[in-house]
Amino acid sequence: MKRLALLVVMLSLTGAPAAFAQDGTVVDVAELLESPTAFVGEVTVVGELIGDYGFRSDSSMWTQLNGDSYVFDPILDDGALTGANVGVAVRMPAAIAGQLDPPGGYRVRGPVVEVTGIWKYHDPDRGGESYLDVIELIVVEPGRGLTEHPTYFVGAAGLVLIAYAVVMRRRRSWMAFGRAN
Amino acid sequence: MLIKPTAEDFQVVGFNLGRISTLVGIAGFVPLLWAIIGREWAPAFSFLLMIGLFLAMGTLGSRIKTPQHRLDWSHGMVVVALAWLLVPAFASIPLVLSGHYASVLDAGFDAMSGLSTTGLALVQDLDHLASSLNFWRHLLHFIGGQGIIIAALSIFAGGGAVTLYLGEARDERILPSVRSTARFIWAAALMHLGVGVIVLTFVAWQVLGFGFVRSLFHGLMVFFAAFDTGGFAAQSTNLGYYHSPIFEFVAAVLMVAGTMSFGVHYALWKRRYRSVTLNLETRTMLVTFGVTLLITIAGLAATGAFTDTLGLTRYGFFQLLSAHTGTGFATVPVTELAGWSGLAFAGMAIAMSLGGMGSSTAGGVKSLRVGITLRSIVTQVKQVLVPEGALVSRSYHQNGKVRLTPELAQAAMTVSLLYVALYLAGTAVALLYGYGLGEAFFESISAGANVGLSVGITDPTMPALLKLTYIGQMWLGRLEFVAVFALFGFVYSTWRGK
Repeated sequence: MKRLALLVVMLSLTGAPAAFAQDGTVVDVAELLESPTAFVGEVTVVGELIGDYGFRSDSSMWTQLNGDSYVFDPILDDGALTGANVGVAVRMPAAIAGQLDPPGGYRVRGPVVEVTGIWKYHDPDRGGESYLDVIELIVVEPGRGLTEHPTYFVGAAGLVLIAYAVVMRRRRSWMAFGRAN
Repeated sequence: MLIKPTAEDFQVVGFNLGRISTLVGIAGFVPLLWAIIGREWAPAFSFLLMIGLFLAMGTLGSRIKTPQHRLDWSHGMVVVALAWLLVPAFASIPLVLSGHYASVLDAGFDAMSGLSTTGLALVQDLDHLASSLNFWRHLLHFIGGQGIIIAALSIFAGGGAVTLYLGEARDERILPSVRSTARFIWAAALMHLGVGVIVLTFVAWQVLGFGFVRSLFHGLMVFFAAFDTGGFAAQSTNLGYYHSPIFEFVAAVLMVAGTMSFGVHYALWKRRYRSVTLNLETRTMLVTFGVTLLITIAGLAATGAFTDTLGLTRYGFFQLLSAHTGTGFATVPVTELAGWSGLAFAGMAIAMSLGGMGSSTAGGVKSLRVGITLRSIVTQVKQVLVPEGALVSRSYHQNGKVRLTPELAQAAMTVSLLYVALYLAGTAVALLYGYGLGEAFFESISAGANVGLSVGITDPTMPALLKLTYIGQMWLGRLEFVAVFALFGFVYSTWRGK
């Protein structure tokens, strides 16, 4: 509950304009992408870890953090469609990442985390890449499974159509065979 | 006088559409199998429905009495134009049933974008999309890029096959017969598929540190999008997701391979390297790429976004290559690309509009037409400057020496002008809705040249008319006008002919 309360407080802060961004300020991922040069130094973002955990040879782990509406209202839970995903790359020590739930994907809502790190916009040390270099990570909500809702009628209709196609073609072949004999 | 099409004409068209429909239906079993293995039941059911509709359509086509008439020029063009509407319409069924699209139109937009290897997308919450559906989106790139018609020709080419081949904007017959050419194209694609997926998977697994199965998934997706110059991606951050220069390099090699004409592939296969270096298309593309790269990098440097030369070169080179090859991969967010103003914007827009080589999976005006137009202008100027009666050489190299006739130059310029008109038409529609001139122009070129880079206009909230305009642009751009005009002519003569 404490973590949830913390999350609520953080979310209420995400509306802060970029111009006021200072070290450690909680910022919205969309804002970070919209005004990448407005944020210098430490920032804190909240979002879902998604896609893959890429453990690299330099003992770092790369993944993506999404800060869109689907984090808390997934489509499979009847969440509304609100546009494309809003995500940013995060890099963290592999040791931090070892304990995390699997990242988000189909039927999986990845762990929701609050990460504090250094925002590196076109980092010259990494060939111009932009990412958040994580210093601290707090799991706000663990990952969880989502349930898909198959529509059996759709599958049945498809099977009927396939059966129709197969039967008609077979019938044609039989008729051709009959005529030939 | 316009001649009204006869019942026989409709039979020929229907029969051939049925064959193509059956073929795509069979291709649909691949994502179905993927969904079953991944226990993604909702997508599996939607694939069943799509396959059923394709096969039923194919069956209806096959029930038409085999036409006596050969497939003539106009039939071939009409079949191709209709196939490129029919396939995205049915292919969008699993997408619309996924719940990730706001409307049928949005799903149809993505299906057309996939098939035409454009890469503009209206999918929402891509990062939670079922892997089988993601695979289907990318497989559409492969089906469309290699050519639905090419696939059909490889299997059951009959009389008049050449018109189908030409209708799909392929004007280069590499081998003596269309069927053998079609088979070569598929053989080349499958060879690249094998090598490309292995290398990408290896890099994702060993360098990026993904799990093996996920590496294979990313390898497949990136291959389809790169080699077919598509631009879709498995994750919302597109190719920027991977944060790896090595991965970008492999993708870039595949993008170049995809944008090369299959004639050049054949020459390389036969080790005719001199033929490749003399080729007008190769030379034109190298020149236009070099010039637009300089423009883009100079523009990017002026924005001050990059503080180091390596980053500037890496991002400028990759984005420009992505634009020129017609791939549309992005390594920077849409919001940042939208901020690339001035020279960077101009370089990207010019590169997108010119496109890749002819008879490839790329879109745009095409290097061959650009080369012919430039060569024609130079020849004209030379003719004026030399003494009266002197002859100026009028030829170029394109898998052998080709005479540059006035008709050829006129045809190249006409199609180039049609592309300009297409880009302007899309820009005009976006301007009507209040978008800025620059962004409207960029997005229109991206749709018409089947590139897929976006500066933010392509969004589920954009007006329906603009979505339809971009769909039309993708369709026209991919088929290079002729087949679509033939379809319009067919419809008009059905209505007004005698």
